[in-house]
Amino acid sequence: MALPLPSGLVPAEVAFLCEMEMITIVPRQRLESIPMLSGNTPALRPPRRADLPLWLALLLKKQRRANIVPPPWLLPASLQEIIHIETNVDPQAFSPPPPPPMRSDGRGIARPYAVTTTTTTSSGRGGGGYGNANGRDEDPNTKELILAPPFLPSCTQDAPSGYLPYHWLEIAETLLAHAADDIPNAPEVRALLRDLQEVRAAKMRGSTQHLEGGGGVLNLRGVGAMELAESRGFVLGVVDGVRKLGASIEASRREEELERGDDGGDESDDDMEL
Amino acid sequence: MSYYDIDAILTDAEKVPCKFELDVPELGYLDNNPAQPLKSGTTIGLPLWLAELLALANRVPSTADEDAKSFVSLNLPPALSNEVMSALKADPRAVPLRDQSHNFYGLGTRMLDLFEEKEICAVLRRTFVTRAADIALHAGKAGATDDMGVGAGEEFLRGLEEWERKLFKKAHDGAKGTKEWMEGVKKH
Repeated sequence: MALPLPSGLVPAEVAFLCEMEMITIVPRQRLESIPMLSGNTPALRPPRRADLPLWLALLLKKQRRANIVPPPWLLPASLQEIIHIETNVDPQAFSPPPPPPMRSDGRGIARPYAVTTTTTTSSGRGGGGYGNANGRDEDPNTKELILAPPFLPSCTQDAPSGYLPYHWLEIAETLLAHAADDIPNAPEVRALLRDLQEVRAAKMRGSTQHLEGGGGVLNLRGVGAMELAESRGFVLGVVDGVRKLGASIEASRREEELERGDDGGDESDDDMEL
Repeated sequence: MSYYDIDAILTDAEKVPCKFELDVPELGYLDNNPAQPLKSGTTIGLPLWLAELLALANRVPSTADEDAKSFVSLNLPPALSNEVMSALKADPRAVPLRDQSHNFYGLGTRMLDLFEEKEICAVLRRTFVTRAADIALHAGKAGATDDMGVGAGEEFLRGLEEWERKLFKKAHDGAKGTKEWMEGVKKH
C-alpha cells in the first residue's frame, strides 16, 4: 500500500468534474462574452437562452443575474418514467443512458446533435471541443463530433427526457440546493430523486451476486459517476476477493488445459481492472 | 500481497493440525510430555508457515527400500472442517466467521493452494459473495447514519473476519464520501 488514495475518483472529485457540464440559463442581465482558456462564453442577451458550464451558471444564479432552465430529465414526469423503468420494466438492470445525440431536422434526416443545437456560442471550461460560434452554418461533415460525456449536452434544455445522464445525481443535487426556485415542483423532484437513488443503490449492492456461480458482475451500463465513485471500492473488493478464492482452482484448470495441449487460454482474466 | 502485509503475516501464524510422520527426540514438550520423544503419529497444531515447509519438504529415506516421505502430513484446520462447511452451505450469513478464524478467507486460500478441494472453494466463494451483499447494506446504513461501528453496526462487525472488514471499510468510505458531498453541496 504505497499510496493511501483509493483507486478511481472520490465523490468530491466527481462533483468537481461535473461542474463543467453545460447547462441552459435564461440571463436577466446583459453580459459580454468572457474569454476562457477553453474558449469564449456566449454573450448573454436577456431573453435569449444560452448554454454555460454549470459552475458559471451557478455563479450567475447566486448573483441573481440568471435563471437556470432545468434539464428535461429532471422534471417530475421524466423521473417517474425512469423509476417505472427501473422498478417494473427491467428490475435487474439500470435504466439505459441517453441515446447517442442524433435528432431529426424536420426533413426526416437524422443529424448529429451538436450541429443542430449549437445556435449560440456555447463553449466554456470544458466545451472547447464542441462549442462552435457558427455551428449551424457549418457543413456537418466537417464538424468533429465528440460523444464523450463531458462534451455531450446532456443537461441542457435539449437533453432527452426519460434518460439519466452520466452526472445525473450531482447535477440534480446541485440544482436542488442552489436553484430550487427554478425547478418546477421541487419537493416532488426531491422525493423522486431519493426513490431513484434507493432503487439504484440496492441494485448496485446486488450487482456482485452473480459472481458466486462464476458469472460476471451485473452490467453497469447507465450507472452515474457518483454511484460509481461510491461503490467502486466495494465492487472491486468483492471481485478481488472472489479472484483470490478461485486462484488455486484457476491455476489447476490452466495446468490441465496446458497438458491437454489446447491453447484456449486466450481469455486472460488475470488483469481484470475496472 | 506485500511482504509487510500484516494480514498475510497473521495468516501465516494460524495453527494447522499436523500429524508427525517420525519420532522427534526432545520435542515431547509440544505434546505436554517433556520426558518422552515426540512419537510419530501425534497430531499437533503448527503455524502454517512451518507446517507448509515440513509437509512439502522430503526427507532422505533411512533405508533404501523406503519411499521419500515428508516430516508431517497436513490436515484441514477446524475452521475449514466439514461442520463449518455444512453450516456455511445452509446459511452463510448465520455463521460468525471471526469465531472460526480471524483470517478465515486468507487461511482458506492458503489451504486451497495445498489441497485440491473444489467443494470448499465453491462454498467459500458463495459465502463471500452472499455475505458481501450484507456488508454493503450495513456499510451503507452506517455511512448514512453515523460513524461506523456504533450500535447495531458493532454487533454486525463482530462476526466479520479481516477480508470482510476491509470490504466493509471500503463500502463505508464510499457511502461516507457521497454523504459528505451531499451535505456540503447545500452550504456553498
